[in-house]
Amino acid sequence: VFEREVILDGSDIEDSLWELEMALLESDIAINVAEAIVESVKGELVGSRKKLGSNTGELVENALRSAIYKVMSANVFDLDEYIRDAKKPVHIVFIGINGTGKTTTISKMAKRLKDMNYSVVIAAGDTFRAGAIDQIAIHAERIGVKLIKHQEGGDPAAVVYDAVQHAKAHNVDVILSDTAGRMHTNVNLMAQLEKVCRVSSPDLIIFVDEAVAGNDAVERAQQFNAAVPIHGSILTKTDADSKGGAAISIAYITGKPILFLGMGQGYDDLKKFDPKWFVDQLFE
Amino acid sequence: MVMDKLGSSLQDALKKLVGAGRIDERTVTEVVKDIQRALLQADVNVKLVMQMSSHIKERALKEEVPPGMNPREHVIKIVYHELISIVGRSADIPLKPQTIMMIGLQGSGKTTTTSKLSRYFQRKGMKPAVVCADTFRPGAYQQLKTLCDKLNVPFYGEEDNPDAVGIVERGLAELEKNDVLIVDTAGRHSLEADLIDEMEQIHKVAQPDYTLLVLDGAIGQQASEQARAFNDSVGISGVVISKLDGTAKGGGALSAVSETNSAIAFIGVGETPDDLEKFEPDRFISRLLGMGDIKSLIEKA
Ligand SMILES: Nc1nc2c(ncn2[C@@H]2O[C@H](COP(=O)(O)OP(=O)(O)OP(=O)(O)O)[C@@H](O)[C@H]2O)c(=O)[nH]1
Ligand SMILES: Nc1nc2c(ncn2[C@@H]2O[C@H](COP(=O)(O)OP(=O)(O)OP(=O)(O)O)[C@@H](O)[C@H]2O)c(=O)[nH]1
Ligand SMILES: [Mg+2]
Ligand SMILES: [Mg+2]
Repeated sequence: VFEREVILDGSDIEDSLWELEMALLESDIAINVAEAIVESVKGELVGSRKKLGSNTGELVENALRSAIYKVMSANVFDLDEYIRDAKKPVHIVFIGINGTGKTTTISKMAKRLKDMNYSVVIAAGDTFRAGAIDQIAIHAERIGVKLIKHQEGGDPAAVVYDAVQHAKAHNVDVILSDTAGRMHTNVNLMAQLEKVCRVSSPDLIIFVDEAVAGNDAVERAQQFNAAVPIHGSILTKTDADSKGGAAISIAYITGKPILFLGMGQGYDDLKKFDPKWFVDQLFE
Repeated sequence: MVMDKLGSSLQDALKKLVGAGRIDERTVTEVVKDIQRALLQADVNVKLVMQMSSHIKERALKEEVPPGMNPREHVIKIVYHELISIVGRSADIPLKPQTIMMIGLQGSGKTTTTSKLSRYFQRKGMKPAVVCADTFRPGAYQQLKTLCDKLNVPFYGEEDNPDAVGIVERGLAELEKNDVLIVDTAGRHSLEADLIDEMEQIHKVAQPDYTLLVLDGAIGQQASEQARAFNDSVGISGVVISKLDGTAKGGGALSAVSETNSAIAFIGVGETPDDLEKFEPDRFISRLLGMGDIKSLIEKA
């Protein structure tokens, strides 16, 4: 039996691509990332063959789907395996813009690690924002993990250093260091962050951003990653914005994996990132 | 894969019009596409962008270029008018005795803005006072109390009592002698039914003169939907856009204003109590479009 085929040209797929690009934008993928991905899909499809009678829209959607899957599954990094195999203590610093959910995510992570029978110490590295030390102290107490803190206004690098010393002296498995939220454009605060990371040389640096963020996600992920190279990101508040396209912007621009999703304000609302699940619900 | 540098796209787009003596359909289509892109990059709602760009295109083709203006200036003027018709008036919070309720998504900047507004009213010679109705976020009480203590602003809160509605009732009674009463509430989003319900109850008890929605300047496509939900629930009298000291353009907030037919009152440009500015539509639009001083361009006409 003969299967007849046609060769796709740009005009065949233009409309489908445009519609999909708009859908991506509505899911909060930054426009330059959406364009770059759509462009690559176009390049791949134009000149390729399709079976006569097969649905072009479907073909385009599938190609886009796999392109996004590729972005989201590149450089997979399993934090659980890493912690299991690494020399202890493992030190993780959390960084990001103001109010994205760093402190809450650290609490969730502490609870998760504790449930896995690791010992955990938290460093109250946000010595700047009003009430920041109280906030993390309440979390630490509720979860039942040790907190190392200094006074408000103290040197964050010193707090983090102390937490690392504490962990070494007491055979603690994991140190989770909080840092103050800061704008990627604030030169002094970014320099301070570099110092925190230099002094304590963490094993991992995790960038925390929120699902409700739009195009700016690209800019800040890029600038944080440039200042203190990150190992991965966590996207919070996906319960408010289920599509979470910002995850794609961030993964694309940093080339680093998304590790977890924050899905609510409870301690158990932390979900390990699953690229397949993510792409499925994006195209739902 | 190559990516554009953020920001300059509209400026480049409009350069295309510099040489053009007459505006033809092809040039306009091309320029409008670039305008579309600039707005999308600034986080303006996708549907709103499509709507606006078809308006812009229609007007650019139909309207005569006024004498003394080149086609480029003409298109800028049309774009400006479309945007100003959305954000045009800034919400004016008067200097009189009143109650203000702060609402918004988690981490948007409500508590910080509460301290900024206190400072603002203080500087205008008024006597602000603050009630902490966030009984949900750990450390919310200490955060607000610390901020108020530093400013010498009277503060009411009940540290371990989860009953936000009762706290507001007692707090407003206790602080009665002050003239501007600001109620800070916990962060919430439209899908958290219990928290939305709590907000409605607080609103009923506080009966605020102004309900201010605090939106993160970087919020994306969710802005319209969230704003609509808050507006349906308690009504929004004004918007504060926070965190505009970074690189965010604030198009989400613009979309929220368009969706709820409200207006922007202030913008937040930093973490300290002094980092609050009155909203200026022209500056905001210039920033949104990534252009220099749009006002002087328009005024030239
Ligand atoms: N709905 C929802 N809220 C979240 C999530 N993660 C954090 N939050 C809320 O977001 C707000 C800010 O969270 P924080 O953990 O204080 O954020 P942060 O990044 O530490 O903030 P700064 O230290 O001020 O920069 C709080 O009200 C949290 O409860 C999430 O996954 N879903
Ligand atoms: N750079 C900058 N940071 C801001 C601005 N406004 C608020 N922030 C910071 O954003 C973070 C969150 O601010 P909050 O005032 O705690 O936000 P919130 O809405 O009260 O948060 P929840 O009560 O958890 O919902 C803090 O780190 C603030 O210092 C601003 O205009 N610029
Ligand atoms: Mg924090
Ligand atoms: Mg607050």
